[in-house]
Amino acid sequence: MNEITSQTPALQLSDVSKSFGPIDVLQGLNLDIRPGERHAVIGPNGAGKSTLFNLISGMFAPSSGDIRLEGNSIGGLSPHLINRAGLARSFQITNIFHRMTVFENLRIGVMARHQVRYGLFRSAAGMRRVNDETADVLNRVGLEARAQSMAGDLTYSEQRALEIGMTLTTGADVILLDEPTAGMSREETAKAAELIRKVTEGKTLLMVEHDMSVVFSLCDRVSVLVYGRILATDTPERISANREVQEAYLGQEGAQ
Amino acid sequence: MTSIQKILLALLLVLLIAVPPFLGLGWQNALINVLISSLFALAFNLLNGQAGLLSFGHAAYFGVGAFAALHLMIAVEDGLFFPTPLLPLAGGLAGLVVGVVAGYFSTMRSGVYFALVTLAIAELFHSLAPHLEGTFGGEAGVSSMRMPWMGLGFGTIIEVYYLTLGWVVLCGLALWAYTRTPFGRLTLALRDNEQRVKFLGYNAHYAKVIVFAVSAMMTGVAGALLAISNETANYSLFSGSVSAQVVLQTFVGGSTVFFGPVIGATVFTLFSFLISDLTRSWLFYQGLIFVLVMLYAPTGIGGVIGHHIRNRRQLDLAKIGGPYLVALGGGILIAAGTVFLTESAEVLFGQDYAMARDGASGGFPAYDLFGLSWSPLNPVTWLVPLVLLCGGVFILIRARRVIDRLWARKDEATTADMTVGAGGKE
Ligand SMILES: Nc1ncnc2c1ncn2[C@@H]1O[C@H](COP(=O)(O)OP(=O)(O)OP(=O)(O)O)[C@@H](O)[C@H]1O
Ligand SMILES: [Mg+2]
Repeated sequence: MNEITSQTPALQLSDVSKSFGPIDVLQGLNLDIRPGERHAVIGPNGAGKSTLFNLISGMFAPSSGDIRLEGNSIGGLSPHLINRAGLARSFQITNIFHRMTVFENLRIGVMARHQVRYGLFRSAAGMRRVNDETADVLNRVGLEARAQSMAGDLTYSEQRALEIGMTLTTGADVILLDEPTAGMSREETAKAAELIRKVTEGKTLLMVEHDMSVVFSLCDRVSVLVYGRILATDTPERISANREVQEAYLGQEGAQ
Repeated sequence: MTSIQKILLALLLVLLIAVPPFLGLGWQNALINVLISSLFALAFNLLNGQAGLLSFGHAAYFGVGAFAALHLMIAVEDGLFFPTPLLPLAGGLAGLVVGVVAGYFSTMRSGVYFALVTLAIAELFHSLAPHLEGTFGGEAGVSSMRMPWMGLGFGTIIEVYYLTLGWVVLCGLALWAYTRTPFGRLTLALRDNEQRVKFLGYNAHYAKVIVFAVSAMMTGVAGALLAISNETANYSLFSGSVSAQVVLQTFVGGSTVFFGPVIGATVFTLFSFLISDLTRSWLFYQGLIFVLVMLYAPTGIGGVIGHHIRNRRQLDLAKIGGPYLVALGGGILIAAGTVFLTESAEVLFGQDYAMARDGASGGFPAYDLFGLSWSPLNPVTWLVPLVLLCGGVFILIRARRVIDRLWARKDEATTADMTVGAGGKE
């Protein structure tokens, strides 16, 4: 198949469209994510950012167009196959195992990474490497004190941290985070941004983010999505200086 | 499991081994049925309680297991060498195979659609079985005999009892061990949030088929044990009432607690053993118990017990014991009133009474109940249940108020503890 060279984008969308019935949510989208970069997607509410993530991660199949992960076509594959191909995502609306402990929430993903997906003839407590690695992720997202709490009992920002942690567990190289800091206070947002920087070291990150300070501090490039089209892709500085973008989005935000 | 739980389980096992030889045949038989329905309910609850998939058609795998065992028994009668104690393997295998196929289709959907597909599959067996002479023996069913094996005759009920006990304990332990495996943990995750499981690299459909198949396999073992005990089975094993029974037992026992279904299965099986000779309304009583438990203790008997065990430290058992006894008294009064009314209705609307009325030329002759004679026209006859019911409800409400207050005080105590703890840290 395709040779993976430094030129191969980590993620490549060519002419991707998605419509729900008569509504065209995404229209002829082109996007290249370079290996190792941190890339933000910004855009007004309802622009189709989450839909974009849903197409890439396999929740929905694109209506047309091609999606490639490290050169291999993944458009329309099931979520679990896309995950195994090396892509993991978080959700805008917290999507965890509420009635399981924080540790177990993370362990499910670590188990998948260690290929013990359907193990029926061993003890979960006895899987040394899986449990060590789970503890490691737990530390990295700063939830070690909450390991044995039910995930449903966590505070909102703890649940967001868990959401990110779960996305890391399967060992994917390409990470998609959908509004990881939404609903957080300024302090929590800064902490979350620092956490994201730490845990995505050496990985490729594509994130939806409304908070421009997070985008500036974290991301190498930004794409602006407005009504199903990419308006511009550039460095954060140049994007914020872009007239068209200001009119379409940033200005609008500023006016609010 | 805590060590206390382990000791209790071991004690229970010792009793189950040591006591039955001293019991009558009726009780031995009843205990066999208790064991079989316990395994059935545990297997059912693997799917229901742990994977969150409520099946309304588990009779299919129970029946398949029974018929598979009977066919193997017939083959043994005809000279095939197969150790009698291993017969349930046939039921397990048949349950597994049918479970994989049925599970493949039914787990394509979740929730109501899943339940409906399982129901349809069981109905398919129920309607086809009477027409399939070779496999299910038509309307009459299939019969066989237990063959002796290595000095064990399997001619007495107590031998069958020990065979059943061995298999039920083995399968029960296996099901418990299942919850501790990686896949057992995944099963819980599936129940909680199937979508997220998919995005973590699992084929959720594949996983659900496995859970379904394991549940069907264990159900098949239970069905085989019934076939071995009865030496016969017919298509009625596939009926909706068998599927419904295991649902009722599991929910009354408590689907959120691992051993809850065993409690429900035991209560209902003993209930029908003890009561079904005395009354024809026992299905009604069973339904009533189910409704009451669902309304007032939705986590089932096991859930209520578990709740008390979890809170035992904070609860003042000496203080709460009294109100509980009073509440029990109220409950007994209500039960007595209900039974009186139900049995009276049973008599008064029965055929015998219609004939008696003809004999009394249309009047309302007295009827016998609980060794006394009651006249339907005498107000006392209706005053008795009325007083029982009202008194019981009154006592129960009063007792409940006290109990609620004691529980609330316990909650207060916990909060106070926490405040003190937080204060200490500062
Ligand atoms: N499953 C679906 N079926 C029908 N319409 C959908 C579906 N998912 C999204 N849409 C529509 O697509 C449009 C884009 O939604 P999407 O959630 O992708 O926006 P977004 O950019 O993530 O917005 P937000 O900032 O509010 O999260 C919306 O108009 C939404 O109503
Ligand atoms: Mg969104």
